[in-house]
Amino acid sequence: MATPVKDPLTGAETTGHVWDETLQEFNNPLPRWWLWTFYATIIFALVYWFTYPSWPIGSTYTKGFSSITYKTDAGETKTTHWNMRALLAQDMQTGEQALKQKAYLEKVSAASYEQIAQDPDMSAFVRSYGNGIFGDKCAACHQAGGQGVAGLFPTLVDDDWLWGGNVEQIHQTIVGGRNGYMPAFNTTLNPEQVDEVANYVLSLSGIEHNADAAAKGQKIFNGYAGGCYQCHTTAGKGLTSQGSANLTDKIWTVADTTAEETPAERLKLVKNVITNGIQRQMPVFGAKLSETEIKVLVAYLKQMSTTQQQ
Amino acid sequence: MAHSAVVSSEQYNYEIVKKFAIAAIVWGIAGMTAGVYIASELAWPFLNFDIAQITFGRLRPVHTSGVIFGFGGNALFATSYYIVQRTCQTRLAGGTFWPNFTFWGWNLCIAIAGTGYLFGISQGREYAEPEWYIDLAIAVVWVVYFLIYTVTLVRRNQPHIYVANWFFMSFILATALLHIFNNLAMPVSLLGVKSYSLFSGVQDAMTQWWYGHNAVGFFLTAAFLGMMYYFVPKQAGRPVYSYRLSIVHFWALSFMYMWVGTHHLHWTAIPDWTSSLAAVFSILLLMPSWGGMINGIMTLSGAWDKLRTDPIMMFLITSLSFYGMSTFEGPMMSLKSVNALSHYTDWTVGHVHSGALGWVAMVSIGSFYHMIPRLWNTTIYSSKLIYTHFFLATIGVILYITALWVSGIGQGLMLRAFDEYGNLAYTFVETVTFMHGPLVARAIGGMFFVSGMLVMAYNVYMTITRAKQEEKTPVIAVAQA
Repeated sequence: MATPVKDPLTGAETTGHVWDETLQEFNNPLPRWWLWTFYATIIFALVYWFTYPSWPIGSTYTKGFSSITYKTDAGETKTTHWNMRALLAQDMQTGEQALKQKAYLEKVSAASYEQIAQDPDMSAFVRSYGNGIFGDKCAACHQAGGQGVAGLFPTLVDDDWLWGGNVEQIHQTIVGGRNGYMPAFNTTLNPEQVDEVANYVLSLSGIEHNADAAAKGQKIFNGYAGGCYQCHTTAGKGLTSQGSANLTDKIWTVADTTAEETPAERLKLVKNVITNGIQRQMPVFGAKLSETEIKVLVAYLKQMSTTQQQ
Repeated sequence: MAHSAVVSSEQYNYEIVKKFAIAAIVWGIAGMTAGVYIASELAWPFLNFDIAQITFGRLRPVHTSGVIFGFGGNALFATSYYIVQRTCQTRLAGGTFWPNFTFWGWNLCIAIAGTGYLFGISQGREYAEPEWYIDLAIAVVWVVYFLIYTVTLVRRNQPHIYVANWFFMSFILATALLHIFNNLAMPVSLLGVKSYSLFSGVQDAMTQWWYGHNAVGFFLTAAFLGMMYYFVPKQAGRPVYSYRLSIVHFWALSFMYMWVGTHHLHWTAIPDWTSSLAAVFSILLLMPSWGGMINGIMTLSGAWDKLRTDPIMMFLITSLSFYGMSTFEGPMMSLKSVNALSHYTDWTVGHVHSGALGWVAMVSIGSFYHMIPRLWNTTIYSSKLIYTHFFLATIGVILYITALWVSGIGQGLMLRAFDEYGNLAYTFVETVTFMHGPLVARAIGGMFFVSGMLVMAYNVYMTITRAKQEEKTPVIAVAQA
């Protein structure tokens, strides 16, 4: 049975085994290049094993000959065998990019907002670093360019700020978050009154409306029945302390009337807001960002809103 | 010889092979279609339709289980039962009952587990999602499979065990070991579906990836090498290139694979030494893997012309080329420095698919085109359609892996790019925007591959239908034979 057969084509010998009528095997030697490459991988393995921590021995392991020097949190310089934590620490302490970034962060952290705005180099850094924070933390709601989503998330590019647009106010918004709230008037006002108030609100922005209804609406707005003036003021200008909207500036953050074609549609949008109220929340970022990061972000947002204005 | 006088279909248990082969094609189409759907969800998120059951997270394990265990598993049962009988010249052990038990057991397990995934019933372990009750059932089915296989080998009418059977044995043994240890878990209650792993933290992660990578090593590699070692020489009509190489690479492969799983956890909270060991054994695995490729491709020496004329051979040899490519890519990605770029990107997904589609699926498809006509004692309905399938599959795989190289390597490079201020140059969401184009191309690549499977289903259906007609008109059948 086990008689080797010579192959007429290649001259190689088979092992002499035959399965399933035709299956045979040549007894060719291992290809040389295959064998040598296999040996080469073994040499590579040895080098790797000697370089890095690799073999467990009892409760410890071989440390390898490669070492890393870095500063511990306590400030001591320490040299240890190669390991991931030390590698990260070393890179953050002495890496080329990390040092570059660190120098800028220190500069920005020591500067005032005015100085940052006036210094082209610091401004450019803020644009770059702020873009990263904004993209990771803010863009999910306010969108990648900061344009927001009408009705849901305020736009940040128009320099109109519900909660105030100076650096202290923006800082507070980021650190403490905000709760945007307007009560629903579906139980306090009847549909006719809602219609009248809505007409008045449209009139404040000079948008097409029913003048008679608006006149009645003004009374409700500034009277006991509606009491809208308590937050929006009798002039309709809003209060940054309440985050209540300025209704006279033609900027619509919730009822996006500019997107609607017909007066009826616009009126309906405003009525919806009055009827259902508003409940929006911006989360607290004080614990998620460092003081310097927040500072850069504030400067970045100022840049974003003012560049858009020009 | 006495054996050759007996018609193969009577000498061997072909009924069970037929069942598994058809199940493999059905699961293949279902699993790959699920894959195309989730790939499309990544490219066009509206396809979620806000229905929890069809979102990526729920459908993804349906896809992976469908293709690995449904398509791959059934293909392995079919070919291993076919090969072990033919190379041992003996009928499959266990009568008709036990092989059928493995068929229904295996397929029911996948169906029940897969349905559960849609409703969030999952262990959350990659490729080991089935909960404890399915795990127990799978263990029983697997032990029966092991016994059927071993007893058949013991009853062989051949002095030697053919190389394909070594690989199938190592696959069956290793899979039992991996399945049982990775799924050690405590059910919350005997009537509830939920269980908790016996391991925790880093040990849990390492056990999972010891399992996960050896699912690749023994389920998707060793077993399919077994398939290759039978069908390549059979189809080529040439002896296997080197018996010695097959011994050396078999043992090297079996030894090395067990060590490498931790390379899935590079740069995480694992001890550094586990990471180095995994990286090194991955590099050591390169040549043992290539041993299989060399043995397969070199078997064709003296019959190279078949690559032009025989579409089945084209499938088999192309699969070996993809095998060689992905077993080179894998060790490279296992090096810590390369992994720092590739980890968590689509490069990994592309790598898996060059193995899964290029190697596993194509070697199975080639083997099926050889085996199915023989099972039904006929010839293939259309050789032209095999060519069509071959080109659809090849274009699909190439489009798929190229798209994910662009997506993965591109994202990896973007995530580590710095600008002139030492800041990261891109936000995460910018890298996602970049990936949209490649993800569309990947979905299209998947569509090509599924269309190829549909062509195969039609071709197989027509082959079987014709075979049954021939049976009814015995005169013609004899004349053709």
